[in-house]
Amino acid sequence: MSAVTVALCIICQLFLVVGQLYFKHAMSPRTPQPRSAMFRNIAMGIVLQAIWFFLWLGLLQHNDLSKIFPFEGFNPALLVLCAAILLKERIPAGAWLGIAVLCFGLVIVSAS
Amino acid sequence: MSDAIAPASPRPQARTGWFLNPYFQIFIGALCTTAGEMLFKKGANASHAGEGVAGLIGVTPLLSAWTWLGVIVYVISLVSWLHVLRFLPLSIAFPLINAVHVLVPVGSMIFLHEKVSLGRWAGIVITLCGILMLITPLVRAEEKL
Repeated sequence: MSAVTVALCIICQLFLVVGQLYFKHAMSPRTPQPRSAMFRNIAMGIVLQAIWFFLWLGLLQHNDLSKIFPFEGFNPALLVLCAAILLKERIPAGAWLGIAVLCFGLVIVSAS
Repeated sequence: MSDAIAPASPRPQARTGWFLNPYFQIFIGALCTTAGEMLFKKGANASHAGEGVAGLIGVTPLLSAWTWLGVIVYVISLVSWLHVLRFLPLSIAFPLINAVHVLVPVGSMIFLHEKVSLGRWAGIVITLCGILMLITPLVRAEEKL
């Protein structure tokens, strides 16, 4: 599996996760927002998830499903990293260990 | 009024029979996600892959009915997941839905005839361990984001 494919798998997941966050904010009752902001969030969510969809289909055209699907596991790691970057949350040591184990597993999968 | 004796729990209780039971819906959701991914793969296989940069974006799979069937099944899995999250905390639902990481390779072997080597299985299991180690920080991140 080439470095480009691995990078694409991860970038693809990033579009999925950020797209989900936009949808969540559009629907969230916690953050009262004008209608225009809600529609803007939904539109962003749709655009980002469409990019995920077509990147994912492109990856599926060139790779085994059982090989690239484990990269969906990067999703929770990306959410934790998003919280750290966007909200300046500190990432606990246990979470770094989890991310390291996750990456190690994905390295083995991509070498298989 | 009935409101006065409402339970203190912030989550509504599912009293709607076995089909809408959140644990059953996790099972349905995991099956639909697995089926959806396999249908996407079938659609991708049935279409002509572009070369070079054009090959990065999979537009041609849209010409295959498998892909559209996959979209329908995927949307069902999404609705099921939203239903689950109304009744179960993410700290319970998230570890269970990760059964897809076992179901998808098993499905790929049976229905797509992919060869999943022992090494790949080892990688998948390690990846799954990493995912499960992230439950607590994930729930925190989900609450705040």
